[in-house]
Amino acid sequence: MTEHEFVRAMLALAAADALDPTEQRRVDQHARECDLCRKDLETWAAYAQSLRKLPQPAAPAGMVQRTQARILQERTAAENRRTSELMLGALAIFGWGSGWAFWTVARAIIGGSLLTWLLASTVLVWMTAGTAAVMLGRSGQMRRSL
Amino acid sequence: MILAAAMSLEAFTTHREVALLKKRHPDAIAELIGRYQHRLYRFLVRMVQDPATAEDLFQQTWIRLLEKVGSYDARRNFDAWLFAIARNLAIDHLRRRRGVSLDEEDDSGLAMVDRLSAGGPDALEQLLDFERGAMLATAIAGLPAIHREVLTLRFEEDMKLEQIAEVAAIPLSTVKSRLHRALESLRVRIEMGKDL
Repeated sequence: MTEHEFVRAMLALAAADALDPTEQRRVDQHARECDLCRKDLETWAAYAQSLRKLPQPAAPAGMVQRTQARILQERTAAENRRTSELMLGALAIFGWGSGWAFWTVARAIIGGSLLTWLLASTVLVWMTAGTAAVMLGRSGQMRRSL
Repeated sequence: MILAAAMSLEAFTTHREVALLKKRHPDAIAELIGRYQHRLYRFLVRMVQDPATAEDLFQQTWIRLLEKVGSYDARRNFDAWLFAIARNLAIDHLRRRRGVSLDEEDDSGLAMVDRLSAGGPDALEQLLDFERGAMLATAIAGLPAIHREVLTLRFEEDMKLEQIAEVAAIPLSTVKSRLHRALESLRVRIEMGKDL
C-alpha cells in the first residue's frame, strides 16, 4: 500500500478526530502535498461539521414527569411484591412452627401410631396450602383488575 | 479552560447525585433525569427512530439505572454507564421488533425529519442548515443501528472512542472500523441522493 492509499483510507477518521497522533501526523503531512487528499479531507471535515449540527429531536413535553411517575409506580409495585414475599415467608415459618407444636402436643395427649399421624398431617398441610394458594391467587387477580 | 471547568463541575455534581441516589434520596433522580433528558432522548431517537418508543426506553433506562445503582462503581464514567444501559435496552428492542441483524440497512425513518426542529443564526442560514441537516438525518436513518450508534455518540455526544467502546462493549479497534464504515456509507448515501 502506498502512502497515498494509506492516507486516503484514513481521511474519514481524521475528520472525526479518531486517529492516534502518529496517524494524524501522516495524514496532515500528506495532505499538505497532495491536492486530491487535501480536498477530500475538506469534504470529510464538512461532513463532520454537519454531523455535529444535526437538527435535534425535541424531548416531548412532560417526559420527565411521566418518567418520575413510572419510577414511583415501579417502586410501589416492587415494595408490594417484597411485602407479600416477606409475609409469605413469615406465614410459612409460623405455620410450620405451630403445626409442629400442635402435632407434638396432640400426639402426646391422644397417642396413636406414627404412620397415622404422618398421613393425617400430610392431608391437612396440603389442604391448608391449597386454600392459601387459592386465596393468594384471588388477591392477585383483584390487584391486577384495579 | 472555562469549558473544562464547567465539565469537571458537572462531573462533580453528577457524582454527588449518584451518591445520593445510592442512599435513595428522592430528589437526586429528578435532577439527573432533568439534566440528561435531551441527550439521552436524542440518542434513543437516533437508535430506534420512533419518538414514542424512545420515550418508553428513556423511562425504562432510569428504572434499570435505579435497580443497578447499588453496584455502580464511582470510578466509571457516569455518561458511558448511563448510555450503555440505554443502548442495551434499545438493542434488545430492535432485536425483538425486527428479529434481524442489527447491521442490516433500513430505508424507513423519513418521517423522522418532520419531527426535528432546526437551529441557526438567521432565517436563511437556518433554512439551509435545516435542509442540509434534514438530508443528513434522512441518510443516517437509513444506516444500520450499529452505525447510527457510533455516529451519534461521536458527533452529537462528543464521546471519545474509549467511551464509545465502553458504551457499546466492543474493542477500540472495532469502534474505529465501525466509525469508518458508518462515515463511508453515509457519504455514499448522500452522494447517491444528490444524483437523484
